[in-house]
Amino acid sequence: MMLKKRITFFLSLALMVQPVWVAQADEAEGNVGLSIDDGSESFNEFFEQGDVADPLESMNRAFFEVNDKLYFWILKPVNTAYTMVVPLDFRQCFGNFFDNIAAPIWVVNNLLQGKFTGAGIDLSRFLINSTVGVLGFGDPALQSFGIKPKPEDFGQTLGTWGVGEGLYLYLPLIGPLTLRDSVGFAGDALSHPVTYVGSTYLDGLAYYTADKVNLLSLHPGLYEEMKRYSLDPYISMRQVYIEYRRNKVLDREVKNHIIDEL
Amino acid sequence: MVFRNLKKIKIMKNIYALFVLVCCFCMFNSSAFAVSGPTEQLKPTLKSLIEILLDPSLKGEAHKVERRAKIMGHVTQGFDFREMSQRVVGKEWKSLSQEKQDHFQVLFTKLLENAYIGKFESYSGQEIQYTGERVKGDRAIVSTQIENNGQLMPVDYIMTKKEDRWMVYDINIEGVSLVRNYMEQFQSILRRDKFDGLVKLLEEKNSTFE
Repeated sequence: MMLKKRITFFLSLALMVQPVWVAQADEAEGNVGLSIDDGSESFNEFFEQGDVADPLESMNRAFFEVNDKLYFWILKPVNTAYTMVVPLDFRQCFGNFFDNIAAPIWVVNNLLQGKFTGAGIDLSRFLINSTVGVLGFGDPALQSFGIKPKPEDFGQTLGTWGVGEGLYLYLPLIGPLTLRDSVGFAGDALSHPVTYVGSTYLDGLAYYTADKVNLLSLHPGLYEEMKRYSLDPYISMRQVYIEYRRNKVLDREVKNHIIDEL
Repeated sequence: MVFRNLKKIKIMKNIYALFVLVCCFCMFNSSAFAVSGPTEQLKPTLKSLIEILLDPSLKGEAHKVERRAKIMGHVTQGFDFREMSQRVVGKEWKSLSQEKQDHFQVLFTKLLENAYIGKFESYSGQEIQYTGERVKGDRAIVSTQIENNGQLMPVDYIMTKKEDRWMVYDINIEGVSLVRNYMEQFQSILRRDKFDGLVKLLEEKNSTFE
């Protein structure tokens, strides 16, 4: 029992380490698309980006170092072992499973942003994958019906409502967040279906850890690649995160789908 | 009388045909030289990049230096490394001597070569799809997609027009601007370590790719 708890704790540590979000960036294919008919506003947005408010830079940098150590000491070895033991097919299935469970949150956030088409798409994906896809381990909605997911989180919802992104934070274990996204992160965590099923806080944490370790195993090496090509990894990460989130809020990936259909 | 008129008409027709021909030629000419858009100008650069990457005699780690040199020879035709260097250094650029500027450009080009071409080195012949083009004044974005390890990787080329030639000054890979990212990093380093410190860091970084 003691051992189980300890493993859960270390896993939680590992999975929460920041670099994982980079993997998520990788997942969203095409978030910078430009449609032929999009307004000139987003065209300018592409060039003129506001500065990042980072008044807590020295604190953030200290946490960046902490997470960097956690990545190489815990997360990477855990991920290597996991990748060796569990074959790719299974890891992809687990990835589908985690995505499918999160789908109801996407539906709600689509609705909160007035994106009724997106909500319908995510809902139908959830229904198809939970049944035909055997509890979400498969993704027949995409593979057989070609329905691409439209993930929306609460941070994006707040952004759509006009809430400013606020200052930049780099938190131990969790990684980069803006103030707005921390509220979004908390909102998503509280509304996650698992919180209704899982009895304890630890269950939720274990679930979160498993999700993130699995995600990293599907996109290995991203954090290390970023470090390899940058002179100041802290700034590079900050810039990547901010650009990625701003694109998300502006729905650049939606425009890319318009191009797909042309 | 009728005969003479006919002859006149025939001459007129010939003159007219010649006139149309000259007009066509002029229009054709001008369109071939001046009015070519950013996508058309980017295509040959990327095409030669791909041809070199696919060339079996240049494949593998053993030919890396030769392959990179060839690629850079073509890439410099369509990519403006001077402009990129100027952008990442910012307002301090103008106060630098010509020598320092040139040295910096060499170092930064080397870094971009590793960060950008490195992404394509595993490339095995998938077609580059041109998915869109947006032009506004002297700036343009050309969107492309390329398959990478089974996933579609969007790569956007941000271009500016210089004397009728569209040149790339930033590359946006999967939503992240490469030059812009370096600009943010360098501005932070410049505040802390000044220009000489930045050059030293760049030299150290480049030596890790050898």
